[in-house]
Amino acid sequence: MKKRSTLKISISGVRGIIGDSLTPQLAAAFAQAFGTYIGGGPIIVGQDARPSGTMIKQAIISGLLASGCQPVDVGICPIPSFLFLTKESKASGGISVTASHNPREWNGLKFISRDGLYLTPHQTEEFLDIYHQGEFSFAEAERYKTLKTESQPAEPHLRKLLGYFDVDLIRRRKFKVAIDCGNGAGAILAPRLLEGLGCEAVFIHAIPDGSFAHQPEPLPENIREICRTVVKNKADIGFVQDADADRLAIVNNKGEPIGEELTLALAAQYVLGKKKGSVVCNLSTTRAIDDIAAARKATVFRTKIGEIHVVEKVLSAEPEAAIAGEGNGGVILPDVHPCRDSFAAMGLTLEYLASSGSSISTLQKRIPKYFMIKDKIEGSAEQAYRLISLLRKKVEGQGKVNLLDGMKVDFPDHWIHVRPSNTEPVIRVIAEAKTEEKAKAVIRRLKKVIADYLKKI
Amino acid sequence: MKLLKIGISGVRGIVGDSMTPKLVMDFAAAFGTYVDSKPVLVGRDTRISSPMLHAACLASLLSTGCDVLDLGLCPTPILQYQVRKSKAKGGISITAGHNDIKWNALAFINRDGTYLNPFQGAEVLDIYHLGKFKKVPTDGLGRVRDTEHYADEYFEGLRAFLDAEAIRKAKLKVVIDACNGAGANFLEPMACALGFELIPVNNEPNGFFPHDPEPRPRNAQQVVSIMKAVGADIGFLLNSDVSRISVVTETDESLSEEFTFPLVADEYLKDRCGPVVTNFSTSRMIEDVARSRGCPLVRTKVGQSYAVHSLLQEEAVLAGEGSGGVAFAAFQPAFDGFLTMGFILETMARQGKTISRLVGELPRYHIVKEKIYCPPARVHSIVSEVKKFFRRHEVDTSDGIRVEDKSGWVQVRASGTEPMIRIIAEDQLKNKARERADEVINFINVLIQ
Repeated sequence: MKKRSTLKISISGVRGIIGDSLTPQLAAAFAQAFGTYIGGGPIIVGQDARPSGTMIKQAIISGLLASGCQPVDVGICPIPSFLFLTKESKASGGISVTASHNPREWNGLKFISRDGLYLTPHQTEEFLDIYHQGEFSFAEAERYKTLKTESQPAEPHLRKLLGYFDVDLIRRRKFKVAIDCGNGAGAILAPRLLEGLGCEAVFIHAIPDGSFAHQPEPLPENIREICRTVVKNKADIGFVQDADADRLAIVNNKGEPIGEELTLALAAQYVLGKKKGSVVCNLSTTRAIDDIAAARKATVFRTKIGEIHVVEKVLSAEPEAAIAGEGNGGVILPDVHPCRDSFAAMGLTLEYLASSGSSISTLQKRIPKYFMIKDKIEGSAEQAYRLISLLRKKVEGQGKVNLLDGMKVDFPDHWIHVRPSNTEPVIRVIAEAKTEEKAKAVIRRLKKVIADYLKKI
Repeated sequence: MKLLKIGISGVRGIVGDSMTPKLVMDFAAAFGTYVDSKPVLVGRDTRISSPMLHAACLASLLSTGCDVLDLGLCPTPILQYQVRKSKAKGGISITAGHNDIKWNALAFINRDGTYLNPFQGAEVLDIYHLGKFKKVPTDGLGRVRDTEHYADEYFEGLRAFLDAEAIRKAKLKVVIDACNGAGANFLEPMACALGFELIPVNNEPNGFFPHDPEPRPRNAQQVVSIMKAVGADIGFLLNSDVSRISVVTETDESLSEEFTFPLVADEYLKDRCGPVVTNFSTSRMIEDVARSRGCPLVRTKVGQSYAVHSLLQEEAVLAGEGSGGVAFAAFQPAFDGFLTMGFILETMARQGKTISRLVGELPRYHIVKEKIYCPPARVHSIVSEVKKFFRRHEVDTSDGIRVEDKSGWVQVRASGTEPMIRIIAEDQLKNKARERADEVINFINVLIQ
């Protein structure tokens, strides 16, 4: 068997394993290519709370200085705040050191344009061409810029959020909130936001040291501790942020995780109730979104997987997107900024609670019920590609096939989605149905078929 | 053509040309691999390119599992002192010393606080060339530790080593030109520790060099211009990392950097006799001084690394070079501009003599230093061809070509830091020194064409 590649260069940026593929030399070369692509000016440089962040960040600072850019080191910073700052401070771009939800041995670089958005696929292509050609700009010593630091990078974002939400309405409810920052970058801003919203907050894992008390994905199995915390403190709601604080999982007032698909569904339910507009989400997001949108006669746009694809659609959607995001707990509130933002998701959820006067477990029941299973199988993108062409023949005529990203097949009472991951060498396999039994049966059958095919490939 | 010099104890190049993040990272990773993931100190001078090299060093050292004690802006002798104090495994000083602003360099320091010796340097270079750097996984990565008060410790050591009481009592007024280099942040603490009145010049650590950061008469105008006005007792010029100094007298004479070492040695060797180390390019003054004090003189190749390792090997008491660098074995095996300045002040204080008088007691020679640009690939072959010019003389080839007679000498050697051939000639008579240099320069110019 071929050795698994531990370096992923994709539209999501660069990811690799520390001590293996992701070396400081590589990070510096990418930073220099980025500096060359951007052509100078201030570049915001931040990191999530991973312990390898500082090493990679220093390499990036070196590469940016060499290319004549002015790095602005903001240290550990939640990704949504980072994106907001990049746009707000009129920087030329940004590089964030993060591997999002990958395990802690991973780290990576994400590249951000002056608009505070991840590079679009076209921009990424131009930038990667520069990297591959290896001809970087080198500033002469006399033209070097000085390194700057920014110790309050999340402030502009916080101001925007507090200006957007109905703070008085939320404050009146005096919510008790339990929150797990997963020792991630979210801990930088979460206390201040919740304080601003008049919540009494109980924190766990709120030191951003990257120790990742649980796996960085806010999946139900990782959040037992916050569930207990909610019960013990009789909290109104529990929140779990992922490592870079762009995604949010919710625990209800009974201490039960509501499932990460419901973060966006709740947000959509609330926002569409007070504002006209469309919904943008990716192919793998729950069908509940379609039901919620249909009830409000709102259009749903489905995109490829990857935040940038959702964001691009948000920027071009007609009618304008009122709410967007992904089923993984990533909520995009376009009125704040067009990127996934766990803080915006928290604010929306709390405002929904406050305006409805209901408990979260009650609101949860109003969302159409589906059951989704997300699984993965080890395999390369190449294997995924060949697998999909075989699978396609098998399902032809039985369901509605969508080949926008891997293969999604919609059946009347369920759907399946098979695609190569953008960030890890695995094939993702997702199924959703009205009941748990049905979803399990579908995924079991699908995985068996795939396993058989993979043996042949 | 790219300019890059890889020496025994470091690497030096032009920023934006040969000195790239990749090069710095590879060398730092080689050093991190060499010290086997043990703690390393990192410091830098004020050059505006230094933060680039600094970040690259941090990233690489951390990636090889070294904890980094980050001294930030720090003169090399203070970093060297702290390597020993902190029991680290080594250090990297980011500075191109006396080179102009286009250049930068890494100097590698071993656990004894000295430049790597030729064997250690060769080992690092082998790792660099092999390209097999240690790579540790996330949990093994080094951490950066900032350190405060590290300079206090150094100046405390300096105060204890010198006769600070005598200096204080002498109430000396001292002009120091830090050339906006790494010394800029450290002159006040030094003045405080030793108790002299400081009149600083170019004392902003901003990296904009008002003149080349080379302590020698042609860069001394600013100091010379204020000596009389402020009534200073002495003036000093520093290079960008405070390893080398030159002196300006109270009579406005800007002394050749050649005087620094003999000035120190003449006093120091009085009650501390022992071997003295210098290089083949240094003035005869030190020969006369050592002889008069009854101390043997050992000559080495040019470069702090050679001088300091000879200092240790020969159990010598002093090592120094004509470029203005002096190492005191009893303090630390490193060229140390702070100590050199301090010792000259102590000498003035204890003897109650002006600096011009102390200089007047030294033998005087005339030295001519020239350099000729030469394509890097031909430097060494051209130097060795100069032998033909001295067919009838006895030629010393320990470092380039050196020919000596009763009244003087001339040396031709490849620069260790630039693609240059250096020609140094000395004689008791000024025009003879010039003549010695010129005849060789003419010969070399013909060879290059």
